[in-house]
Amino acid sequence: MAHREAGVRETERANARVFLIGLCVFLALMLGFPTLANLWYSFSNVSIYDLAGTAFVGFANYVQAVGNPNMWAALGFSLKFAVICTVLEVGLGLAMVFILHPILTKRPWLTGILMLPMMVSPALMGVMYRLILNEFTGIVPAYLSMMGLPINLLGRNWIYETVIAIEVLQWTPFAFLIMLTARQSVAGELEEAAAVDGATGAKFGRLIALPVILPSIIIVAFIRFIDSFRVFDHIFVLTGGGPGNETTSISIYIYKLFFTQSKIGEAVAVSVMLLIASLALLYAALRLAVRRAPA
Amino acid sequence: MMRTSRLIAAAGAAVLSAALSTAALADITILAWPGGPAEAALRKVVDKYNETSDSKAELLYFSRDNFFDKMLADAAAGSKEFDVMLTATYNVGKYAPFMVPINDLITDDVMKVFPQSAIDSQAYEGKVYGIPTDLSLHFLYYRTDLIDELLSNDDWKAKYGEISEKYMGTKMEPKKPDDWTWDDFMASALFFTQSINPDSPVRYGTVLQMKNLLFNIMIWQGSAASYGGNWMDADGNITVDSDAYRKALDIFKKITEWEATPGDSNSYEYAEANGAFGTGQVAFFIQWSAAYAEFVNADDYPAIAGKFDITHEPAGSEGPKTHFHALGLGINKASDKQDEAKAFLAFLASQDAMSLYAKEGGQPPVVEDIIKAVAGDRPDMLKMGEHTGKYGIVMNGSTAAPALGVYSNMAENFTAYWNGALDQDTAIANVVAYMKEAYGK
Repeated sequence: MAHREAGVRETERANARVFLIGLCVFLALMLGFPTLANLWYSFSNVSIYDLAGTAFVGFANYVQAVGNPNMWAALGFSLKFAVICTVLEVGLGLAMVFILHPILTKRPWLTGILMLPMMVSPALMGVMYRLILNEFTGIVPAYLSMMGLPINLLGRNWIYETVIAIEVLQWTPFAFLIMLTARQSVAGELEEAAAVDGATGAKFGRLIALPVILPSIIIVAFIRFIDSFRVFDHIFVLTGGGPGNETTSISIYIYKLFFTQSKIGEAVAVSVMLLIASLALLYAALRLAVRRAPA
Repeated sequence: MMRTSRLIAAAGAAVLSAALSTAALADITILAWPGGPAEAALRKVVDKYNETSDSKAELLYFSRDNFFDKMLADAAAGSKEFDVMLTATYNVGKYAPFMVPINDLITDDVMKVFPQSAIDSQAYEGKVYGIPTDLSLHFLYYRTDLIDELLSNDDWKAKYGEISEKYMGTKMEPKKPDDWTWDDFMASALFFTQSINPDSPVRYGTVLQMKNLLFNIMIWQGSAASYGGNWMDADGNITVDSDAYRKALDIFKKITEWEATPGDSNSYEYAEANGAFGTGQVAFFIQWSAAYAEFVNADDYPAIAGKFDITHEPAGSEGPKTHFHALGLGINKASDKQDEAKAFLAFLASQDAMSLYAKEGGQPPVVEDIIKAVAGDRPDMLKMGEHTGKYGIVMNGSTAAPALGVYSNMAENFTAYWNGALDQDTAIANVVAYMKEAYGK
């Protein structure tokens, strides 16, 4: 009997390996090759006119990248942007989970409506807000003006808050959806038992629901942080990274280095450094999530 | 059996013949400048070509945002998705390695369609890479009703003098836009701004395009040139750190500080500026020549229908100047359909095709005879030809490979200055440092 089970397991393992081959080949082609090519470019003097004809320059691109104050400014913008957006998106999403969960249990179709903002592509979101916030054609400035608040949300004084608000408006539904799924995993019987023991309302949320949702909060915070950190589309469409470099994220910085300044080696060096930082963060977040997960 | 074999042989011959004829007359794809009158006009020309040619042409459009970067990526990857590709005066040097010279297409007949300067706008190091299709320069667009009132209303004149004295230190008198200097431009911007002059019928005097975008620098640099500014001198020395550049930078800076341009001008480019002027809330502005074909459409812009005109940019110490360049179409080096692509370009360079292109809203830099022939439909074309000849400037070094990077760097630093994120010395020093590195000085 034991022999037979061991045989079945061995066959399953063999099948699994066969099925994994396709995925491994796909990953090697789609991720492995570009990663290796980028690593090589980051140590090379490379030109757009001859991507194959590179010359090894050691760490010169990395030294140049680290010595450029504009890179640190872009990195600072992205970090600040990512932290603020993550806190707001997770905070608002969590609040929405607790407020809307009873309603959505009875009317689940409402969830679909709440998801609409994240179905719009970020670049299109930028184009939309170019129109919505425009002083002459936009609906928001028109209403603000009617209320005696002639604020230019795309003006220099408000542009930082505006790009954050657009990101938060678009991606809070994502944070909400992940955390709502975790909240819905709390069994009805558990809620009833907790109620019998006197844990209702905020007490239930704090002592029962929140610990269950916590791993999801960590994961969603991590995903949103990474996503906000690499923000590109809507900022680029709205401001082009300006005025000056004031809204230049690290992704926009890399893009400009690569395309407009043709500093391909330096651009790739910055992206490799970011990849390493992201992997470190991913490792830390996964460790934290696993540790916090209920047994 | 014999009969069957013959039938098979005949069918095979027919298929082979069809295949060969298809190969001989392969269709081509044209990657062209998207949107606006240029796209509409080229579609008509391509339709005409497809009526008369066995090889059919199909148009392909990216979005306008960072068009050239996307094309660069495709070209560098050796893409064969398009056979004919875009060229522009300011980046012909950058794309030349990915294109095929077409000097053999520039025949005597073609020289009867285009002036030499237009052909030169598509050339790099003695080789021609494109057939010019669209000339772009800048006009001063102004509201005739407002300017007429300003020139005739004594109360308005008095207020104009009062405001100019208060903000600019000199009591000025209004002039016709044809005679404007940059000081007149600034004084008029002040006068027509409601926050400064509550009696102004429009919200702002002017609208500046100050998004961190290289094309916005092209609009601005006519002011620098009007004071004698240039990227480099005859010896190739970088000359951006000059009084001319400082004066020109200060024009935008002062107008921004006076709030005589919308507060969100730092996010404005072509479309936003057109929207501001087109909704009737701005008295005048500097804009690309392409906007004229849009503004004359009363259905799209009823607020300014019959109430605007164009003239040259205001004058500096060296007179009025305008940046100009030409877009064109050339051949992708990686294309397998070089002959078909050449056939299309030969058609495009014909008088018939260019006349049709102009009539349908394009802005081809053609000879005066052709311009006069279409002037009934396109009065702006007469001014384009005249302005290019009289006021057109091409900055030294601005057709070389690093030019796009220089424009982008200027956009980054000069928009930062206009919006208070950098001081003038730092902005200029950053640009000069970038240019020295880019040009190996």
